[in-house]
Amino acid sequence: MTDGEAANAEVEALFALVTARYGARLDAQQREGVRKAIEGIVEQARAVRAVRLGNADEPTPAFRAYRADEPAR
Amino acid sequence: MIDPVFMPLRELAGHVRARRVSPVDLAETFLARLEKLGPRYNAVVTVTRERALAEARRAEEEIAAGRYRGPLHGIPYGAKDLLATGGGIPTSWGAAPFRAQQFAGDATVVRRLEAAGAVLCAKLAMIELAGGMGYRQPNASFTGPVTTPWSRAAWSGGSSSGSGAAVSAGLVPFAIGSETWGSILSPSSNCGITGLRPTYGRVSRHGAMALCWTLDKLGPMGLTADDCGLVLEVIAGVDPADPTTSARAYRYTSDDGPRRFRFGVLAGALDGVSEDMLAAYRRSLDVLREVGTVEDTALPDLPWEAAIRTILQAEAASAFDDFIESGGIAGLTAPEDHFLPYSRDAVLAKDYVKATRIRGVMAREADRLFERFDVLVAPGRLTVANPLGQEFRGGMRGTARDIMGAVGNGAGLPGLIVPNGFGERGLPTSLQLMSRAWEENTVLAAGRAIQARTDWHTKHPPVEP
Repeated sequence: MTDGEAANAEVEALFALVTARYGARLDAQQREGVRKAIEGIVEQARAVRAVRLGNADEPTPAFRAYRADEPAR
Repeated sequence: MIDPVFMPLRELAGHVRARRVSPVDLAETFLARLEKLGPRYNAVVTVTRERALAEARRAEEEIAAGRYRGPLHGIPYGAKDLLATGGGIPTSWGAAPFRAQQFAGDATVVRRLEAAGAVLCAKLAMIELAGGMGYRQPNASFTGPVTTPWSRAAWSGGSSSGSGAAVSAGLVPFAIGSETWGSILSPSSNCGITGLRPTYGRVSRHGAMALCWTLDKLGPMGLTADDCGLVLEVIAGVDPADPTTSARAYRYTSDDGPRRFRFGVLAGALDGVSEDMLAAYRRSLDVLREVGTVEDTALPDLPWEAAIRTILQAEAASAFDDFIESGGIAGLTAPEDHFLPYSRDAVLAKDYVKATRIRGVMAREADRLFERFDVLVAPGRLTVANPLGQEFRGGMRGTARDIMGAVGNGAGLPGLIVPNGFGERGLPTSLQLMSRAWEENTVLAAGRAIQARTDWHTKHPPVEP
């Protein structure tokens, strides 16, 4: 499968998921709009996935454990 | 006779303190402008006349009694209608389904402004839900599309649309806006005013509509960089009700002694910029070279826009999950807002987490740049204000490049828009400045240096009939 074919397959799978959830609310034009939006989401996701990070590159802002009596930062 | 309209805050405050201008008269002046001129631009959701006059009377009594609170005492302002206000004043979030929504109390920012003696005169129009549903046109508010006071045929920018238009048209001396990605800078640019996006965590969002918890910021919009600094000092500070706020104290300093700035221009910051914006930018570089050096620089080539867009889309979908699931989006104004939010289910959890990890790299890389530069500069936007009927692409969608917006918001850095000329259709152009985290005083000092050498911020649209 080429890169483009893989991307299209992902778009179709995610489009199927979204229309399974919300398809009854969408007319044909809106479905097409959703498909285009998903194409954009997949394109940006593939760009994000292509970045190589180190194991210690953690999310920011990191989660902080909470205590109501702890003073603010 | 003192005309307070289009008067910078420091000058206006001087008149108020010396009792040459009455806070009640000031409030009446701006309330009248809001009521008469606000509808012309669709800039206003609610004029808060009763509250304004009560606050103005209190200010007048206190100042007469020698209890002057500071430079915002007795000064009218407007708040983007995503800031909660008590007392039965609605907070619509710009969206028809929430037009009657009320809260029990004020947002922290509104409380801090009240404590400083400022006078709330209006809740200002905004793009519905701060643009988080993916709008692609100016007509995305239940109060109608907001126009820039420079042209009835052009958009004010968004999502702090009314805040930009109201300051530009002299309906209020200053306003509060919010930015997740571009929502202070865009209307400041389109309306030819000065707008400050503070560092993430500088200003409490408690009581503000949440669009994207890790990106939302509140900030001032005014006529000058000095105005923005005076307002920021009042609204900044730690708030136990907003755990993202920092305990770092903020004190606005406007000591303009001799200073040289090291300005940097990010690779990619000029991509796709229109000729008129570029021409104004090049003229601004001549001004910057009077006060510093200008050098090109670059960040590592990573998908900064895609990462921040992924975060924004996922968090916005979660923030409004119940509203989207219920089908409530069908009641929004922009047709695309009726269906685009459903597509966000396609943002996968692993991609969201990866994007937040890339964001960490971004924050470190951006900070490293500021070892060599004080301020990054770029054209304020890609173009002057769009025509009202024109669709556009923005930070929420697609693959549009906006390196300054992605890094500025992704790394949570302070940014400033200053007007720097006029372009196509006689509409304002702008310059964007960005500093290291917590260095609002640096970006404001650069803004003041520019405004001391130019007069673009003193140009105002012809608003009288």
